[in-house]
Amino acid sequence: MAITYRTHMSIIGDILSTARDEVPDESGASITYLIRKANISYARLSKILDTLVSQGLLEQSNSDRACKYRISNRGREFLQAYRGFREFADSFGLRI
Amino acid sequence: MEFVLESALNLLGFVVGLVLGIFAYIGFKNTGSPTLFRLSISFFSISIGFGVVGFGFLIESLVLGYAKLDTWIQTLGLGIQTIGYFFIAFSHGIKSFFPKSRYFKSIAMPLFIIPGNSIEHIIRSISFILLVYGTIETILSYMENRKRSTIFVAAGLGLLALGEFLGWYSIVFPKSVLYFISVSTKIVGLGALFVPISQVPLRGARFGNNI
Repeated sequence: MAITYRTHMSIIGDILSTARDEVPDESGASITYLIRKANISYARLSKILDTLVSQGLLEQSNSDRACKYRISNRGREFLQAYRGFREFADSFGLRI
Repeated sequence: MEFVLESALNLLGFVVGLVLGIFAYIGFKNTGSPTLFRLSISFFSISIGFGVVGFGFLIESLVLGYAKLDTWIQTLGLGIQTIGYFFIAFSHGIKSFFPKSRYFKSIAMPLFIIPGNSIEHIIRSISFILLVYGTIETILSYMENRKRSTIFVAAGLGLLALGEFLGWYSIVFPKSVLYFISVSTKIVGLGALFVPISQVPLRGARFGNNI
């Protein structure tokens, strides 16, 4: 069976989906939780989280001396658009 | 009258390709995805290719009043379309232009050898091979994801390939109806590529390219 690698965009989609649908509590998801759910290394996740926060797709909050992340309204819009265009690319047998 | 019909068909292809390109470009602007960027280049190239032939024929026949149309316009338009087909094939991760299979070479090589005296027909044969490759890859994707829209895309690429083949084959019957059938088939093929667009959200926030 062939191994299918995720693209950078699909990893972002997974992170945003986790932050939207699978947050353990109201304050958001911790880095450890995202690492586990999005199946990605700490180093790579940190870079992506910085980008997503700077782009306004995730909101960062500090609680109990730990950074937590929640999806923003802009992030929800992005996720919706991403899923639509992923379907479009899927139809061509491609991955975005 | 013949020129007008040829121009109209090509201009229709120009519009269809342009709309597809705009959809793919909206996707690229929203997500920054390189795949959607390649698809937008592809559809814009196909559109421009049709446009060059359509507008070229119109200008030459109606404005300049030429009795005989320049073949270089057709060649230029087909060349630009081929760039578009290349990007569709490239997006599927084309590794090498020809597989090493001797059997495949025996089928593919004549497409290059027979029309060797004409740039236009060489370009058509390249387009045909790229489109067949894209069709096969899309059919394989359909067998994995079983999405109905994927089979429409495969049919669309297949019809584009058939259109190119008929256009190439019109070298045998240059003044026949084959050319019209070729352009019409290609336009129906482009139309089939519209199906996935129904799933694309047209409204939404714009995001940066740094994601």
